[in-house]
Amino acid sequence: METGPASAMPERRTLKDPGGARPVFLNPLKVHLPVTATVSLAHRISGLILVLALPFLVLALAASLDAEAGGGGWLPLLKSIGGRICLLVFVWSLAHHTAAGVRHLLFDAGIGTSYPRARSSAWTVHAAAAIAVLAAAAALAFGARA
Amino acid sequence: MKASLGGVRPWVLQRATALLALAFLLYFLLHLAIAPPDSHAEWRAWILSPLMRPALVLFVGAVALHAWVGTRDVILDYIKPLGLRLAALCLLALWLGATVAGAISALNTSS
Amino acid sequence: MKISIYRYRPEEDDKPRMQHYDVALGDERMLLDVLERLKAQDPTISYRRSCREGVCGSDAMNINGRNGLACLTNIRTLKEPVVLRPLPGFPIIRDLVVDMTRFYAHYHAIRPFVLPGGPPPEKERLQSPEERDALNGLYECILCACCSSSCPSYWWNPERFLGPAALLQAARFIADSRDADTDRRVDELNDVYKLYRCRVIMNCADVCPKGLNPAAAIEGVRAAVLRRSF
Repeated sequence: METGPASAMPERRTLKDPGGARPVFLNPLKVHLPVTATVSLAHRISGLILVLALPFLVLALAASLDAEAGGGGWLPLLKSIGGRICLLVFVWSLAHHTAAGVRHLLFDAGIGTSYPRARSSAWTVHAAAAIAVLAAAAALAFGARA
Repeated sequence: MKASLGGVRPWVLQRATALLALAFLLYFLLHLAIAPPDSHAEWRAWILSPLMRPALVLFVGAVALHAWVGTRDVILDYIKPLGLRLAALCLLALWLGATVAGAISALNTSS
Repeated sequence: MKISIYRYRPEEDDKPRMQHYDVALGDERMLLDVLERLKAQDPTISYRRSCREGVCGSDAMNINGRNGLACLTNIRTLKEPVVLRPLPGFPIIRDLVVDMTRFYAHYHAIRPFVLPGGPPPEKERLQSPEERDALNGLYECILCACCSSSCPSYWWNPERFLGPAALLQAARFIADSRDADTDRRVDELNDVYKLYRCRVIMNCADVCPKGLNPAAAIEGVRAAVLRRSF
């Protein structure tokens, strides 16, 4: 139940369900989300993906520093379809999270906080992340042939 | 009314670690783009050099602190029951602690 | 015009539902005019309205997915069927009428009045034009709740996060040169829930019918907290 001043609910009479709580309309899918909202959502999702990836990155670092083979069992794993998809998801996450983060730092400095400028910087973030993924995909495609 | 948790310190920590991590990331990516290591030996020499090793440790530390503040925000947003919330935060601490420990170990044992 | 309206009558309905209408239009221009005509057709529909010119904030609702004032929404901008729902996240009293109690409580919590301190001056408390300009973009809020009800952070934490409207008003009083209680105001906002749930999603700026930008004002409050703390 709610606490604080908001809990003083007026008395309700002739309700079908007097003990029931009032309904709430909250369906995020039915509410319009502007581009600033999608950037924020992607910032959160990309951040969570990066956190999940952290231990694997450390393992990869350790494997890469291995005095002998260097890479070891990682390379064939990365070259698999699953590995490539993971790599691209990682690249998108890093690119988006970094670009959106820079946008946040600029907001903190008071730069670009007007709504029109916030919209255009949001599109820029989405574009930067998309370009990074395409570049990575291209590098993977050409690198596979090398 | 619940007691208040100061907000400005985690916020500043998140911004400061973001700047540190960004600086290192830019240097790392630029180096890879301009002068990529040709061989495994060159890669090891670069990563394990006397400047890179501590810089990498600092980087991983900054990332871990940054991830702590950010993921804690997500937990505070969505996970309300106290028991679940504490469990999630503990799990996060272990996850990030293991990451930092793993990075330090990887950079120390290989030499 | 085809309209779908969210209906909920606590004395009859178990749960809310959408009801569809087809209204024959005359020379209505704004959505509120259409609703008034619809009300003549079906008197059981409930919604708030008052000034019909966008200054009271009563007729805020979710119009085709986006919060706005019915009296300021030109029907030519609306795709049919027009879908009207109550403000998201607020408890629904009836149809499009929501419970604003918690919203007002957050507003009252930031002490929305000037606390000048000191003895009263002989005449007015003077402000230079520049000091008065510092209130622009902050004082014009009509407390319609379009912003707070469009904020995902407010959806997930409506009890503890103050929301864009209350925070904008907090910024308004921090910016007021006549107010002497700035330090306490800023200290009270230094809380991981009250202020720092804001993720600068900017849905607030997107929907504000007065063209205000609560997210930018909140950045200003964060700067004030930072200055005070370090």
